[in-house]
Amino acid sequence: MKFSIISRRRVWRSTGLIAGAATVALTLSMMSVTQAASPTPGGTLRVGVTGGSSKDSLDAHSPTSDPDIARAISLNSSLATYDTNHKLVMALASSIKPNKNATEWTITLRSGLKFSDGSPLTSADVIATFSRIVTQKKDGAESLQGIDFTKTVAVDDRTVKVILTASDSTFVDAMAYYANGIVPANYDPTNPVGAGPFKFKSFTAGQQSEFERNPFYFVAGQPYVDSLILIDFGDDTSRVNALLSGQVDAIDGLPSAQAPIIKASGSYKVLESRTGGWIPFTMRVDRAPFNDVRVRQALRLLVDRGQMVRQVLGGHGTIGNDMYAPFDACYPSKLPQRKLDVAKAKALLKAAGKSNLKIELVTAPIAAGAVEAATVFAQEAKAGGVTVKIKKLDTNAFWNNYLKWDFAESFWFTRDFLPQTAAGSLPTSPYNETHWANAKFISLVGKAKQTSDQKTRCSLIQQAMTIEYNTGGNIIWGFPNQLDAYSTKVQGLVPDKSGIPLTSFGFQKVWLTK
Amino acid sequence: MPVAFRSLRMKIGVGLAGLVVLLAIFGPSVAPHDPQEFVTMPFAPPGHLLRFGGDYLGRDVLSQFLFGGRQILLMSVIAALVGVGLGAILGIFAGFRGGRFDEFIMRSGDVVLAFPQVLLALLFISVTGPNLTVVVFLVAVGHAPRVARVMRGATLSVSERDYVKSAMALGMPTWRIVAQEILPNVSGPLAVEVGLRLTYSIGLISALNFLGLGTQPPTPDWGLMINDNRIALTIQPWPVLLPVIAIALLTIGMNLISDALARASAGLDRQVNA
Amino acid sequence: MLKMIGRRLLLSVVIVWVVTSIVFLATQALPGDAAKAILGREATPDRLAQLRQQLGTGKPVLEQYYSWINKLVHGNFGTSLASNQPVWTYLKPLILNSLTLMLIAAVVSASIGLLLGVLTAAKRDSWLDHFTTVVTLVLAALPEFVIGVTLTWLFSTGVFHWLPAIYAGAPGQSAWRSPTQLVLPAMTLVIAVTPYLARMLRGTLIEVLETDYVQHARLKGLPERVVMVRHAIPNALGPVIQVLALQFAWLAGGVIIVEYLFRFPGIGTAVANSVATRDLPVTQALAVFFALFYVTVNLLADLLTLVLNPRVRTAS
Repeated sequence: MKFSIISRRRVWRSTGLIAGAATVALTLSMMSVTQAASPTPGGTLRVGVTGGSSKDSLDAHSPTSDPDIARAISLNSSLATYDTNHKLVMALASSIKPNKNATEWTITLRSGLKFSDGSPLTSADVIATFSRIVTQKKDGAESLQGIDFTKTVAVDDRTVKVILTASDSTFVDAMAYYANGIVPANYDPTNPVGAGPFKFKSFTAGQQSEFERNPFYFVAGQPYVDSLILIDFGDDTSRVNALLSGQVDAIDGLPSAQAPIIKASGSYKVLESRTGGWIPFTMRVDRAPFNDVRVRQALRLLVDRGQMVRQVLGGHGTIGNDMYAPFDACYPSKLPQRKLDVAKAKALLKAAGKSNLKIELVTAPIAAGAVEAATVFAQEAKAGGVTVKIKKLDTNAFWNNYLKWDFAESFWFTRDFLPQTAAGSLPTSPYNETHWANAKFISLVGKAKQTSDQKTRCSLIQQAMTIEYNTGGNIIWGFPNQLDAYSTKVQGLVPDKSGIPLTSFGFQKVWLTK
Repeated sequence: MPVAFRSLRMKIGVGLAGLVVLLAIFGPSVAPHDPQEFVTMPFAPPGHLLRFGGDYLGRDVLSQFLFGGRQILLMSVIAALVGVGLGAILGIFAGFRGGRFDEFIMRSGDVVLAFPQVLLALLFISVTGPNLTVVVFLVAVGHAPRVARVMRGATLSVSERDYVKSAMALGMPTWRIVAQEILPNVSGPLAVEVGLRLTYSIGLISALNFLGLGTQPPTPDWGLMINDNRIALTIQPWPVLLPVIAIALLTIGMNLISDALARASAGLDRQVNA
Repeated sequence: MLKMIGRRLLLSVVIVWVVTSIVFLATQALPGDAAKAILGREATPDRLAQLRQQLGTGKPVLEQYYSWINKLVHGNFGTSLASNQPVWTYLKPLILNSLTLMLIAAVVSASIGLLLGVLTAAKRDSWLDHFTTVVTLVLAALPEFVIGVTLTWLFSTGVFHWLPAIYAGAPGQSAWRSPTQLVLPAMTLVIAVTPYLARMLRGTLIEVLETDYVQHARLKGLPERVVMVRHAIPNALGPVIQVLALQFAWLAGGVIIVEYLFRFPGIGTAVANSVATRDLPVTQALAVFFALFYVTVNLLADLLTLVLNPRVRTAS
């Protein structure tokens, strides 16, 4: 496991389809490779983060808003994590190993781990953390549901033997989830102690958080800065203005329209990352008219994916092929790219007896580009004789009836296929937006989960993905790039595939030049 | 009234407001593109094909602008007329009847005025989603007590006059006295109120649309245009500037008109009093 | 006069009570509750039940209303459902910040507005009058957010780099401790309010200047300056105070957009937050604040008018 800056820098090479004007941005983000060598410690890093409200919390295990996630990642560490190339790497654990059929996992902690208050981090804390997440139904509860707590034991101070109720080859992915950070057994979320790069100093929900360097952080030398201030911003324009007037050093979620200005100025840089995050249109496969597979196929054919990426994302993204998890090692890139085909769509609709279809698309500003995507789609669908009426709600009202909308939108960060299906594509998933319940698909996913052999697993996964590609309820038109911006005095931020802004909020790797 | 129409103020006001109204009505028929069509990149700067460039989705700014005025004008007119109508009826009757009815109407007006309108608007719209009816209703209800206050005052001074008193003595029904004797004599302040409330409606409704509370996309609307495109104000100012200029011209025009009406009606009053 | 003041006070209390009761019922009638709003996407039935129990929501409306009123009478606004701290602890710094901003804007715009109003009324139809009329007419027609965006571009991010573009003071710290960060938000409010004030004051003064009373003073041969200071202004004060009150009451609403633009931690933030999270106790407290603010400003204006106007004072 290496946390060295240099290895991070090399990881990202774009091979994908980058539409339109985005190529300029790529060269820019690659330029950071040539930058300064040795990190200088000290200073205060001020970061402007999108969103935040009075309901925000410091809880390591229930982050919902962007500032929540930034805080959870800054104050806590998980046993494993993903590198900037979305490869799983160890973090607090030195190894996480399954038995043959993945029913039993042995977690070995690094030696000498300490929490931010200097107390030792032991296997008991690991078990207490898992138990807290599951019993208090925290964000990661579903991912840890399989743990049999009656049989899971701390073998010694540094070793935990986790027994699962059923075999699960993806358990290690749950260990790398950012909302599953290890906390002490006596964890108090109002005065949190963690094992992350920073330790808690002050917090005002919806406004600002101030953290200090954690001297006990497990990566020697990191973090480089002495303190970190996270400032919440509801409005895009004021966030950009704060950067331009020097009140913050970096911001997440740069609106693509602002990218040219930032690039043109000598004092700021754009951080553009290709991601596997997606903003799908979700069709409920159990409700008319979407219960007719021909209607779903027709709507997928009416999407001009290139136009979507161009008009919605200003070219900062890659086109999608109605399948998620594009960075999964098993992703079936051989399946032909779905293209705009109005004639075929019309024929399908006619066959389904749904010519002149009228549907309502529910949207809300749940993610950058969501409302815009709905607007563009409504226009594109006209070509196929489909009338899409947009119903724009506020975010709160949208979540209020979440999972009940017949035709709506959603957003997801980068995930591999199996963790993603567990979250959203099985009848047992908590967020099954399309109400997808295909028997063949379920059995393929179940088998893949129990298979440790990579090749057999890939074949199963590819079969499952092909089913969704042909008949699924998601319209996945593209994967937006993550755009962030920072002042030139900030060093150490590199493109990251996670979809989580600012190198997965990796502020431990950031240093400031004088 | 004829005095009002001769003043320079009135001429300029009618000219400005008329220009914007004509633009809103006939704009769609001269628009070069379908306002929903994607003709360029998002926030493309003005070029020889698109005189005012592209908006946040790469649609023609000029066409969006030409289509976007109808709705806001219609909403403002409805909100102003409903608000003034309601306020005038309540105010005139309160002033004419007096007593408990008057007291009740005026105190209810105080309650409505003390209402946190923005809070209420946000609450309702957080449930219903952007909603034209809710916005028009809230704006109209906000106008009513203010109009009622003015009209009550005007009615009080009129109802003391001999012709009203004699009509009452003759036992004329209330509604006839109001319609035949009072209304014509308070038409001056009433006209001022219509102009004034129309101005406020335009400002309020465009502000609510700016907050994304009124219009559903993709309906072209000036308030929505300003909000959707303001992120790029420094790069591509036109999708914000055009509607701002139009709303400003309309507001200036309406201000001048109601100013002129107010002056004229004050002048008339003075002549009557003298 | 005391009786009249007493009546006005009682009326104010009734108004605040009616307004808050209606807001309470309205928020209750709306679908969705704090538990759902807080959990958002993660609102699985299990988590909902757990949180609802924790928050004590889901009880009958009347019971909740009674307990709310009961606490309020004892000066207790309850506990914020979203941030889980006493409502007053949460709101106090925000309200103080907003009041600071509004007070600065009120004082500055009242001074400029009065000055412009008096000057233009005195020099009616001069070039100054015409110039001011046109400028105020145009400024009054510009929405606040346009003024705010333009000022930011001019003084902070675009042309000059003199002032901070947003408010980034540490939470809990009073806003007046970082005066430079207050300049742009306050300036936006001032530019939004002053044109109205100046125009209305000019109109009021001109009306007073045309009254027989002032004409008499003129006929006595008093210099115009003395007529203005001794006779016109005192008599215009009553209507002027009413105009000021109207504009200050407006500030409470206008401050919301300005706070949004400049990320200013005040009541605007609280309004948006409490609505988004269905944080009923905070929404309620805000309704009380807005109603109270409106009522107080009007009450003060009425009292001032009474005190300043000899005729009304003696008549009652």
